[in-house]
Amino acid sequence: MYDRNVVRRRRAALAVFVALSIAILTAYFGESGGGFFHALQRGAQEAFAPIETGASRALKPVRDLFGWAGDTFDAKGENKDLRKEVDRLRSALAESQTAQRDASQLKGLVGLRQDDGFPRGTEPVAARVIGRSPNVWYSSITIDKGSSDGVKVDQPVIAAGSDPDKDEVGGLAGKVTSVTGGTAQVTLITDASIGVAAQVMPSGATGVVRPAVGNPRDLLMEFVEGGRVTENTTVATSGFKIEKGQSLFPRGIPIGRVTDVNLDEVEIYQRVHLEPFADLKSIDIVQVLTRRPSGAQTAGVITP
Amino acid sequence: MILSPGSILRVGVLVLLAVVLQLSGMSQLGILGGHIDLVVLAVAAVAYYGGSVSGCATGFAAGFLLDLVSGATMGVSSLVLTATGYGVGRFRELRDPSHGLLPMGVGAAATGGFVVAFAAVSFMLDVGASVSPLVIRDAIVTTLLNALLALPVFTGARRLLGPALKVDPLERRRRRQPPRETGPLGLRGLEV
Repeated sequence: MYDRNVVRRRRAALAVFVALSIAILTAYFGESGGGFFHALQRGAQEAFAPIETGASRALKPVRDLFGWAGDTFDAKGENKDLRKEVDRLRSALAESQTAQRDASQLKGLVGLRQDDGFPRGTEPVAARVIGRSPNVWYSSITIDKGSSDGVKVDQPVIAAGSDPDKDEVGGLAGKVTSVTGGTAQVTLITDASIGVAAQVMPSGATGVVRPAVGNPRDLLMEFVEGGRVTENTTVATSGFKIEKGQSLFPRGIPIGRVTDVNLDEVEIYQRVHLEPFADLKSIDIVQVLTRRPSGAQTAGVITP
Repeated sequence: MILSPGSILRVGVLVLLAVVLQLSGMSQLGILGGHIDLVVLAVAAVAYYGGSVSGCATGFAAGFLLDLVSGATMGVSSLVLTATGYGVGRFRELRDPSHGLLPMGVGAAATGGFVVAFAAVSFMLDVGASVSPLVIRDAIVTTLLNALLALPVFTGARRLLGPALKVDPLERRRRRQPPRETGPLGLRGLEV
């Protein structure tokens, strides 16, 4: 036997909560970054920051334990690849040392002060990751540094590679999208909304790096112009503006290494797969580049 | 579920605990390419023991808090978790299940439904980037991990919500068991 009041109450509850969710969703999309729900999010993040920090530290041993177990499984398969990588890096190291010596002599000759690639004068601020988005569709992290540490919205964020001891030093991780006094939200380059103007080194081909949602070890470089891209070349931020909005990434921040290049049927459009240098799957520490290098070009980020 | 300040407080504690643990621990804990989703399990547990109204209300609250703290697009998790909570609650009300291992199936179904619905809503909101097939692997692994974790989560939720429950499926199952033989007097069903 069905009680009509119970049925009505049940349906009304469902309708109310679904309508509320859709209303919130619509309002969130409609408002600007300073709107009510965005401000509410910032407030909540600030309020939850101490709890998240405590919980994150308390759960670190558990994460490490699972990480160790996973690494042990992966290590066997990776061992063979790493041996090949070591051989390749040895020869690359010899080449780069020669090139470095040549470069330093040339610098002395022409009196130029050149960067080694990475932009200088950016004042990195180290931060600990205290929270992470719970699904693959929104790729963001919460860090324990905020506006009181000089962190501002749109500043670039870099992270270490999976194993810095093996020359995997890391690269671009994302950008700051919201800031509170003591925390900041960082949208990673694997988020669906992100696109970074990039350049292949040393060929100079330019394009836009976008994520392959769901696979943090794969990025796609699209709209490639300026030459054929080859595997194992390095991709870095180009410093170009690719869309409306303000400049964001200084030129020269390494993004990843080209792993695969696909051409379409007419071979006019290259689709380049990259493996990011930054280990975006298990980030514990990041650096926010809090100061823009003077006079340097910067790159833009496409946002929806 | 009996609607009282005490029951709201108990559900609130459960949701808060699930969200904080999810964001600070579980999301950063990758297992075979997927991760445990405690929030879905918590909503499913409340819906399983409390019914559809409690389920959809808890789903909405949990989704709202999750979006608020994680910085994701607000309303998406609320919408999907509301539907998940309602679905699990209706299953409980219509089928009246009481098997001890049922939380595993309920947890798996709720998680599977959640990840599929979440992906559908994300697509409808125009993701604007290519999607890797690994999303499917992530969904499957997450569903399996949640199925394994469902029993302890549901047990914990049942203990926390116990005093606020009108009907406890586990208690009903115990009552359905045949009476035991007791004593020489042949008193059946009496625990002497």
